[in-house]
Amino acid sequence: MGMFSESIDVACSPSGQPESLTWAGRDYLVCADPVRWYERRQWWAEDARAPLGSGPGVVDHEIWRIQVLPAAGNNASEPLTLDLTRHVGSGRWRLLRIHDALRPRTA
Amino acid sequence: MSFTHLHVSTAFSAHYGVSWPEELAQAAASDGATALACTDRDGLYGTIKHLKACMAAGIDPIVGVDLAVFDDDGDHRTQVAGRVVVLARGHNNGAGYRALCRLVSDAHARTSGKAGGTVPVAVTRAELASRTLDPATLKPVLTVLIGPDSDVGKAMGGRRYLRPRTLFKQWLDAMPAGTVVAEIVSQLSAPGFPLSTAHAVRMLRLAEEHHVPAILSNAVRYCAADGAPTADVLDSARTLKSLPELAGEPLLQPTGQGWLKTAEQMLGLGKEIITAAGYGAADLKQLMAQTEALADLCRMDPTSDMGWKQPVVPEASVIGITRDPHMELIQRCHAGIGRRFPGIGGHDEKTMMARLEHELGIIRNLGFSSYFLTVAEVSRMIQDMGVRAAARGSGASSLVNYLIEVSHVNPLQHDLIFERFLSNDRATLPDIDIDVESAERHNVYRQIFERFGSERVTLMSMQNGYRARGAVRDAGMALGMDDDEVGEIAKQLWRFSARKFREALQEKPELKEFAGRVEHKDADGNQQLDLLVDLTERLDRLPRHISMHPCGVILGDATLLDRTPVQPSGLGLPMSQFDKHDMDPMGMLKLDVLGVRMQSAMAFAVREVIRLHPSKAEVVAAGRHPAGPDGRGPDYIAADGRIDLNAVPLDDEPTYELIRSTHTLGCFQIESPGQRELIGKLAPREFNDLIIDISLFRPGPMKSDMVRPFLEHRHGFAPEVYPHPDLKPVLQETHGVTVFHEQILKTFNVMTGCGLARADEFRRALGNEALETAVEEFFRREARARNYAPDVVDKVWGTLKAFGSFGFCKAHGAAFAVPTYQSAWLKAHHPEAFLAGLWEHDPGMYPKRLLVAEARRLGIPILPLDINRSQAEYRVERVEEGKDQGKLGIRLSLNGIYGLSATELKRIVAGQPYDSLADLRARSRLSKPSIRRLAQLGAFDSLHREAGGHANRADLVQHLQQLQAGKGARKGVEVLEGQLSLPLGDVELRNIKPGLPAPTLVENVRAELDLMAVDVSSHLMDSHRPLLDKLGVTTADSLLSLRNGTEVLVAGVRVATQTPPMRGGRRVVFISIDDGTGCVDSVFFHEAQESAGPLLFGTRLLLIRGTTRRTGPRGISLSASMAWDLARTATLPFPESTPHADSDGPHPLDGISRALAITGFSG
Repeated sequence: MGMFSESIDVACSPSGQPESLTWAGRDYLVCADPVRWYERRQWWAEDARAPLGSGPGVVDHEIWRIQVLPAAGNNASEPLTLDLTRHVGSGRWRLLRIHDALRPRTA
Repeated sequence: MSFTHLHVSTAFSAHYGVSWPEELAQAAASDGATALACTDRDGLYGTIKHLKACMAAGIDPIVGVDLAVFDDDGDHRTQVAGRVVVLARGHNNGAGYRALCRLVSDAHARTSGKAGGTVPVAVTRAELASRTLDPATLKPVLTVLIGPDSDVGKAMGGRRYLRPRTLFKQWLDAMPAGTVVAEIVSQLSAPGFPLSTAHAVRMLRLAEEHHVPAILSNAVRYCAADGAPTADVLDSARTLKSLPELAGEPLLQPTGQGWLKTAEQMLGLGKEIITAAGYGAADLKQLMAQTEALADLCRMDPTSDMGWKQPVVPEASVIGITRDPHMELIQRCHAGIGRRFPGIGGHDEKTMMARLEHELGIIRNLGFSSYFLTVAEVSRMIQDMGVRAAARGSGASSLVNYLIEVSHVNPLQHDLIFERFLSNDRATLPDIDIDVESAERHNVYRQIFERFGSERVTLMSMQNGYRARGAVRDAGMALGMDDDEVGEIAKQLWRFSARKFREALQEKPELKEFAGRVEHKDADGNQQLDLLVDLTERLDRLPRHISMHPCGVILGDATLLDRTPVQPSGLGLPMSQFDKHDMDPMGMLKLDVLGVRMQSAMAFAVREVIRLHPSKAEVVAAGRHPAGPDGRGPDYIAADGRIDLNAVPLDDEPTYELIRSTHTLGCFQIESPGQRELIGKLAPREFNDLIIDISLFRPGPMKSDMVRPFLEHRHGFAPEVYPHPDLKPVLQETHGVTVFHEQILKTFNVMTGCGLARADEFRRALGNEALETAVEEFFRREARARNYAPDVVDKVWGTLKAFGSFGFCKAHGAAFAVPTYQSAWLKAHHPEAFLAGLWEHDPGMYPKRLLVAEARRLGIPILPLDINRSQAEYRVERVEEGKDQGKLGIRLSLNGIYGLSATELKRIVAGQPYDSLADLRARSRLSKPSIRRLAQLGAFDSLHREAGGHANRADLVQHLQQLQAGKGARKGVEVLEGQLSLPLGDVELRNIKPGLPAPTLVENVRAELDLMAVDVSSHLMDSHRPLLDKLGVTTADSLLSLRNGTEVLVAGVRVATQTPPMRGGRRVVFISIDDGTGCVDSVFFHEAQESAGPLLFGTRLLLIRGTTRRTGPRGISLSASMAWDLARTATLPFPESTPHADSDGPHPLDGISRALAITGFSG
């Protein structure tokens, strides 16, 4: 499993679930129900401040595990499993992990 | 749609919950909730605050507790299986709340009440089961929530299928039908981890399999997501591990999702769980409906379930009263008239009787007669124990209290108003506070328990919240910072709220250096300090633990323990989980039995006087007392020499002379630097002056500049001004300045005719933004209607508004002034006995060593420690030889010597006298280090002299040291060569070889400071004298002869540090130092604080430059401009002509770390 953190464009459904994304110039579609959870952050090491009123997102961040297929391409390719995180304040998405076992052979 | 949170920890779950009940109730109500639960951990600590908050927010309170349950299969004393939430059911006339109280008390019954006890707070499942049914009706009154923290929930991890089922089944088997529900919680952690949706699903399925209702909760720890980091820090403080350590284990909350989520969010959460479980919409509806159904079952009626605002006092029969309590009270009052007002008649009698009728009428109306009888009973009981007791507080305003001997202040004489204490408009139980000798306080408590029965009495508790120092320490620990580094920072935090830490960094000079470090990060680019400030602010005021309140005792009837849970206090007696704020809402009668060290010190002094002078004639001669009516001395001295302090007339001239001299160290209430300055200016001549003095020395009057005009009018520098002639009778005693609450009441009454009872309600409303406007309207309208001119009305309202909220109750002042006067009286007439009492009970604000200096100033010899003469307490002794022969001196006590145990002390005293060291060892079985320490302090010097030895103290100490090092640690008999048990004197002492140089004075003083925290042989500043001379320092005793405004240097050891509130809100720091000739009080205003910086709070020995300020005919203080640390010789401002001293030579304080005991300051 690789650990990354790179910015990524994600389009969501009205209820906030990821539906499609653009990564490294290619478009992907979410092909299965995503799973969502929260993970702790080592905020005392990562953040310089934690004043009262910081709001949510100091202690944990939201993780989405999604399976995607390229939007355009042969249907034979296997789905890719990605872990994404959404920043609380900006709403920006970052790619956290690509799961090795499922990495496309062509890459 | 609304949702009811049934599992919520408030901030009163110490080191766990983050949010206050008010925030939670407000948030719930504004989201449309109609009820909210409070389920604090281990107790009902926040329950009453929750009740109040819910009532204010207009929602129904639900009460419960989050409790640990012992493992049925494990060791019942220590092993806990998990935690469950227990909710009380409501609308059953208190049956649910009663069971909850008893259950919580059960959980604490086995704990020790001491820190570090090994028995956890927990119940057995059998106890829990037995409490769930009401014993009378056998109906369920409690509901147990089996959730993620229970043994069942904790077994959900991994792939074990059977284990959670077995555990759940055990619960169902053990608990009565209908008392168990499953609590479904998901805090959205990663799949398969605790508090994940996957675990919630498993719990939900389990409930369904066993046909047990399931409810949804969020196991709330904070009101909003912002509280999550605070919860992390609290977890660290609770477990005493840093966040990085906890994250590794992993013991932190898995996510930060435990906030009071909205109904919509909870529905979404429910949907997520139901979907993940593969259930449908009907199941979701059922989950939400079951949650609300349980909530409905548990809604509390504050009045019928919990006794909201219904006063309960002990049954009259307990204090032996069979008839109507009010008739009994009337009769006792009448019986008191003869004692309190002998020979009263005519107009005085009429006034007194009218007042009595008035008070009794109000008391009858309120139904408080048995309350007064109860207090009288306690008060009588204490006096029967032979313990000094005096009522204080507004209770002194009551003639009834005076007549039934609860208070000793005559309210008529001092013009005290009953309505300030009690009125028909005020139906809460009034406070009566009783001061007793501190040394007897615990005995008094035990006696109260015995007298009323342990089912009717419990101690009150108090909540201890985070203040700046504790907060910065725990925040530092959470961040894994170095202990010493955090300690250094904590030292500089002095008297401000942690919440204002960042603000303080900008303002406080002593934090300047730290602020710079925060600004520029650390040398290593470390940003921790910035976080440290944020986390410290987050902890501010959060409760840390409860402890025994220093004086509150709760008295109730036989149902008291159905209305408050109790837990053991450190004292062994049970303590309520409720604090003083919970008393009035719960209708609890609280008696303040306050231990006052000064009362003990005075009682001790009186006993010493009688021991030294066992007859009236001797006491009269020794104390230079007046001859009295028959020429043989005053009536307040009994034939055996016992002084009845309470009977001493309040007009003794030598006492006022002493007070005016400002040499009031050791006197109650008037010994602080600020007070000495004030009495110097005020120059009291009579008792009422003392009342005024004490009432003026309060934050309010000091802040609002009432003191200066008062003094100007008093001394006739400025004419007295009255806003209107009608107010002259009200304000005359304080020369036109409003000082007392009583004057506010009368002002209202004079100008509006509102009556004193309403006037007191108005006074209470002053300073309260919401209520004050209505009071102002009323006042202006009524005063205008009575034809007071608009400018008069404006002016008087201005005064009321400004002073009303913090004026002082004259009854308090009068009650305080009594021990003030009594202590000054003792100091004036029997200074040796009084000082011995002060040393023995240490009542004051100063370190003990300052009293040594005071004894020196008074010329009272201090007699050294002596193995045969020193006792377990300080003693006054007639000096038999030497230059002080014939004087009374004070012999040092063996108590309080570092390392000497209480049992050793007892054995030494029991075995006195000793004729040799061998004798001492044999009979007292002292440890060798203790013997050596006694030798260092010179306790064997006289024995040594008698033995005819030629060696000195150093030789003796060395001899003992060799013995200690040479042989095993066995205590008891040590045989030295040539030693026989013959009456030959001490062969051992005689045979010690001389050789070492005698210890220097500095060494002796250092030993005294190290082992006793007092410098007796000489003042610890004496060894600095050459240095001080070089610097050109002025001594304390010569300051008074200087002109006002002279610039001087003074030097000494810190004895007091105070930051009283001041006018304009700018901080002023008072530092007092002692240089061996007396005390120098210095004031650091803003600029001086800037230049002194960290020295303000961090130094023991100070050199201060300042200009003299004359504060009265006998008073002088210093306005400081700069300070130095005397120990850092290189930095000192030597005159240019003198060569610098590189070092100051050895000093007694070198290497001694007992800062608090020596300087009265733990900085």
